Amino acid sequence: MSLDATNEIETRTRRNTSDLQQSRKGLVKPVPFRGGGFVHTRHRLIAPLLFVVLVILWEVGSQTGFISNIALPAPSEAAGAMSDLFETGMIWKHLSASLYRLVIGWSLGSLIGVFVGLAIALFSLVRAGVSPFISALFPIPKIALLPLFIIWFGIGEGSKVATILFGVFFPTVIATYGGVDNVDRNLIRMGQSFGLSWMSIVRKIIIPGALPAILSGFRISASIAIILLVAAEMIGAEYGIGAYILMAGALFATDQLIAGVAMLSVLGLTVGWLISRAERLLLSWRA
Amino acid sequence: MELILDHVSHSYGDVEVLSDISLSVGSGEIVCIVGPSGCGKSTLLRILGGLEKPDHGAALIAGEPPSDSLNPLTYVFQDFALLPWRTVEGNISLVLEDHSVRKDKARAIITDVLARTKLSEFANAWPRQLSGGMKQRVAIARALSVNPAVMLMDEPLSALDSQTRELLMDDLIELWGQVGFSACYITHNLAEAVRLGHRIVMLSRRPGKIREIVDIDIPLSERINHPAETSAIQRRLWEAMRDEARAADRELSDVA
Amino acid sequence: MIKTTRRTALSMFAATAIGLVTAAGLSTAAQAADAIKIGILSLTSHSPSIIAEGKGYFTEQDLDVEFVSFQAAQPMAIAIASGDIDFGMTAISGGLISLAEKGAVRIIGGALQETPEISGQKILASKAAYDAGLTSPDKLAGHTFGVTTPGSSFHYMAHKIADKSGFDRSELKITPMQKVPAVIAALKSGQIDAWSIVPNIAGALTKGPEVVEIGKVSDYIDNYQVTTVFTSTKNVTENRDLVTRFLAGLSKGIADYNAALVDKTMSADEVAEITGMVHKYVYADQPIEKAGPRIAAGAMRINEGAKLNIASVEDQLAWFQSEKLAPEGVTMADLVDTSFVESY
Repeated sequence: MSLDATNEIETRTRRNTSDLQQSRKGLVKPVPFRGGGFVHTRHRLIAPLLFVVLVILWEVGSQTGFISNIALPAPSEAAGAMSDLFETGMIWKHLSASLYRLVIGWSLGSLIGVFVGLAIALFSLVRAGVSPFISALFPIPKIALLPLFIIWFGIGEGSKVATILFGVFFPTVIATYGGVDNVDRNLIRMGQSFGLSWMSIVRKIIIPGALPAILSGFRISASIAIILLVAAEMIGAEYGIGAYILMAGALFATDQLIAGVAMLSVLGLTVGWLISRAERLLLSWRA
Repeated sequence: MELILDHVSHSYGDVEVLSDISLSVGSGEIVCIVGPSGCGKSTLLRILGGLEKPDHGAALIAGEPPSDSLNPLTYVFQDFALLPWRTVEGNISLVLEDHSVRKDKARAIITDVLARTKLSEFANAWPRQLSGGMKQRVAIARALSVNPAVMLMDEPLSALDSQTRELLMDDLIELWGQVGFSACYITHNLAEAVRLGHRIVMLSRRPGKIREIVDIDIPLSERINHPAETSAIQRRLWEAMRDEARAADRELSDVA
Repeated sequence: MIKTTRRTALSMFAATAIGLVTAAGLSTAAQAADAIKIGILSLTSHSPSIIAEGKGYFTEQDLDVEFVSFQAAQPMAIAIASGDIDFGMTAISGGLISLAEKGAVRIIGGALQETPEISGQKILASKAAYDAGLTSPDKLAGHTFGVTTPGSSFHYMAHKIADKSGFDRSELKITPMQKVPAVIAALKSGQIDAWSIVPNIAGALTKGPEVVEIGKVSDYIDNYQVTTVFTSTKNVTENRDLVTRFLAGLSKGIADYNAALVDKTMSADEVAEITGMVHKYVYADQPIEKAGPRIAAGAMRINEGAKLNIASVEDQLAWFQSEKLAPEGVTMADLVDTSFVESY
């Protein structure tokens, strides 16, 4: 083998694309790139930035009179109403009253909902008997039942908690039994084949398998609970974010109205964040 | 202990899937059941393990299972059937918890089966982190942990790529050398059957009947050194099965 | 059968168009009447506009009236602010004052007023509370008092009762129920202890065993101007003529209303005619035989000429501000335009 031959191989292997493009002008061109796009990249700052820009635009619009004072109060006015709430300490009264109703109503509604959902999913007798009722009662706006709730549970905390409880109960039932129905049948058969008891299969296979669905059900039911808070506090509530919003509406105090709505919004974000945390904790196996 | 199928027939509605099948799995023996797709292999295995009741005939156990066997008839599934919310260790302890094996004793068993399946360093891994071959190793470890009298293996290697399959076959042979488990091994892959089976039972296409039973005398660990013999058996089995397989392939299926 | 060819249709159209143009050019009297929308609630106190329309008093003023029904006073005030209706008549509420502060609405006259000689609003107690000792309004301290919303006229009445009885306002537990039917249900079932309401509703309630009358609002509030007539600030500043004509028509309706239903100086036939007009909008779901007496029972005096009791309005504004239910900066000038009617 001559020295030339080895040289030639080396140069051939060393030749890169740009050489190729040079040496075969016109004949060689890069394959057109058609990939890219359709990929989600994270932009953490966009949402807060957009929010700030919108608020500034809104403030400017209000200050210049472009946005009528009747149509919408300026954000600074709403902020004023909010700072009044902090100054007088009323915010804690409203918040604690609402949180009490939310926590009790949501927890009880979720607890009963999960139990009933499991019962429907596991016992075909219960499914046949109860699930038509669930389907029939779910779409009824709980607000429509408020007058009845008042007779049944009184105008005190009872009817308020009940409104939230019922609103939370139905979506939880549906999420739970939907979740159980979707648990991989092979896993259950595996449990049976290893001689696991019925209770063990429910506790160690069915419930963890349905947990993702149950948790996303919680996300929805928590939002419903917040939505129903305003309805629940329509009747006989002295304090509470919902009562505050209703009073602001009745007095046409739009600055307080916006402040109240902002509180609900913050409440919603907080609850959403808490559920995300719970998901990360309980569903760490999903990566 | 011996596991016996005694004149078993079974239908799903109007479709007969198994017809008059009798066979037995003896102690320390691996029986491979092969056949074209849809011949009722999986149904047969479910009947063997008591997950399904046959229309006619019965699955029987002769003799007592070993006293230390927690779950005499233990399955290994094609799709592994691991709980994604439990670690490797957790998936094994799952099947021990219900037999009230706890703490130190459970720990000892888990350590032992993980070592046997070469998984010791993955004890705390999540199933999602494992490759298919590793997942099936976990499933086998789990099956071993209950010290089964007979392992019922439903196409355990079918979901894996061919290289992994080779590796796992070697592992199974090595494991059999250590433990000497008995198994009923279902597969549609003849190469697996001739590598792992002491006896190969060939089923016809639907309704599944026994067409042929082949005993292979070469010890499992030696088979790799006898390529001519094993491939001859494999070829003969394939000749017998080819037409059936073709016909089965062209069949419209109404039963899953 | 009328046969119209295209040519005759065209010529007819042309003739009409020319006629219209000439009419517009020639005289204002022949001009199309000004269209106005009046918001009403299905209550007897809203009868004067209905009577004025029925008797043609608005037509005399060249006004073409359309009635828009509301379920509550609050949306009516907002509808005036948004320009959907032109005139309304309700109690002074926190919402109304807030809209006045924003320069949207103005009170232009008075309507319903408590007077000692006419049976006015009643103070009611649930039977359970009555039996437990709530036998007169000055014993209300520590009891629950139903209101529709905070800042409603019910809230004002409750506090005025407390003031006059000499106990602290905070000793009354104000219980918002949003709607009148909800307050009624709560009072009947004993979930709230007390309420105050116009006589026809009070009368219907006290007939049953669950509710007892314990007093009269007029004993606690002097010459209470319960409802007022209001319109948009735009009408007050730009359409003064329209407002004046509306009030003129309304005043005649008020005179007939008082004569027929409050003072009862009219003949039975005239009363029947007026009741018939009112029935179209009030208790319309009941036959006239049933509705007639109920309409009559709900009749409280409405100020002649829509006169306005400024002192009462001032007192109400002061109360709203003292309870922080209205912005502090609102003045009487923001709220009331006294130039249209006699005020005292």
